[in-house]
This record gives sequence, structure tokens and C-alpha cells, in this order.
Amino acid sequence: MKVQDIMKSPVETIASAESTKDAARKMHDLHVGSLPVVDNGQLVGIITDRDICVRVTATGRDAISTRVKEVMGKAVETCFVDQDINEAEKIMIDHHIRRLVVLDRSNAIAGFLSVDDLAKSSHELASRVLEATIPIH
Amino acid sequence: MKVRELMTSHVESITPSTNLRGAARKMKEMGVGALPVVEDGKTLGIITDRDLACFAIAMGHDLNSAPVSKIMTKEVITCKADQDIADAAKLMQANRIRRLLVLNDDNSLAGFFSVDDLVRGSHELAGAVLEAAIPVH
Repeated sequence: MKVQDIMKSPVETIASAESTKDAARKMHDLHVGSLPVVDNGQLVGIITDRDICVRVTATGRDAISTRVKEVMGKAVETCFVDQDINEAEKIMIDHHIRRLVVLDRSNAIAGFLSVDDLAKSSHELASRVLEATIPIH
Repeated sequence: MKVRELMTSHVESITPSTNLRGAARKMKEMGVGALPVVEDGKTLGIITDRDLACFAIAMGHDLNSAPVSKIMTKEVITCKADQDIADAAKLMQANRIRRLLVLNDDNSLAGFFSVDDLVRGSHELAGAVLEAAIPVH
């Protein structure tokens, strides 16, 4: 089975110059926990609800003046739409993560693949990813 | 297998009057994503890192004065430490969630039981919980 068969698509994104307040609002409205950060069609990072919790809410920074680029994660792991889901699983396990941004072969963002999506095709694949990641309780 | 054998015990808790910034700081320091809200030995709710981003920031609450009680989830799904993990998994699936608060027989707080704990007992049960959970990408 290919990544494109089970990934979520399309994916909402946010620009790095947007405020963290806008990012939080977008995550709230869309019921998502992370947004790929895209500038001029280029994937430059990823921002999660936890990034906003620990780097904005916890610190006293102002959410309107603090931009997405100041708190986002810059290392984003990706896979390709036409990769086998076993390969995507291996990338997650090797990096101890639970989601990947999915790119097409022209490197444009095509979707999101999470451990939840993996669970829909294989409980075993998803479980191995869970076991390899460090849980945040 | 019983919940007690796999659960995360000795969980930190927080009082309902703690301000939102204090709650976020505690999650950051403890490296956790959720805290039970406890007062006088009674569990009143649960607050997550997602709440502290998507509600606290997105809704523009005053982080230094708004208390945890304002945004916490009050309807908390719980299980007992001596329940079978298959029962706990069923509860998660039915409610489409990924973690339960674990109570002792006297209803005092015993810990957290999450899909990350569950996976160490059964890949099949953990996979089924992930599949049923409300996806947060």
C-alpha cells in the first residue's frame, strides 16, 4: 500500500511570518495539532500545539508579536506520496516521530501521514511506531 | 493484564486556581502533555498542552489571571487500576480518546493510562484505539 492511499489530503499550512496567535486559532478551528510552515511554496518548518504551549503560553511571550518562525521546529521529516507505507513507518521509527509531511515528486506538499492513518491499514505498523516514540503523557 | 501493570503512576497534578501560564510552565518542566486538575483529593478535570495553545492563546485569555478551571475538560473518562486492559481499551475506543485517568478503589488518583502504555501490552488493542480516536494531525 502507498502513502497516498491512506494520507490526509489536502493539508492546511501557515506562513512563517504569521503570529503564533493566528497559528493557535487555525489549529483550533481546523481541529489539528500541527501545521506545516510554508513560505513561497517551500516547506520551512512545522508548528505544533505543544510548541505554542511551551514556547508561548509558558514563557510570557506575546502571542500576537511572536511569529511562527520563532517557535516552529525547523527539522521536518518527509516522505513521498508514492512510497510504500512500510518505508514511511521506518522513517517514523528511525526519527522517533508520529507524523510526516508528504511531498509529491516535485517537492510540493501533498498531505500529512500520521500514526493514526497507519492504524487504519495496519495495527501492527502503527503499534511499532508508538513503541519507538517517546511518549508525552 | 491489568491497567496497573502498564499505567504511568505518580502523575503530577495541578489545582484549578493555578493560572494558565503556571499550568503551561509545569507541563514544560515536567515534560508532560496533560495534567489532572485536583483539589482536596478530588479530581475535577484534566488540562492538556493542546488546551493551553488552542484555547488559552487562540481565545485570548489573560494567561496570568485566567485559572485552569476556566478551560479544563470537566468530563473526564476514568478507569480503575485493577481493570483489564481490554476494558480500558474499549473505553478509549467508545469515547474516541487516547488516555484515561486511573483511579484507585477509593477514587483517589492512581495515574494515567494512555495508548502509549497500552501498546506495551497489546499491539492489537493499541492499534484499534488509534483507529477509533479523533484524529489530531
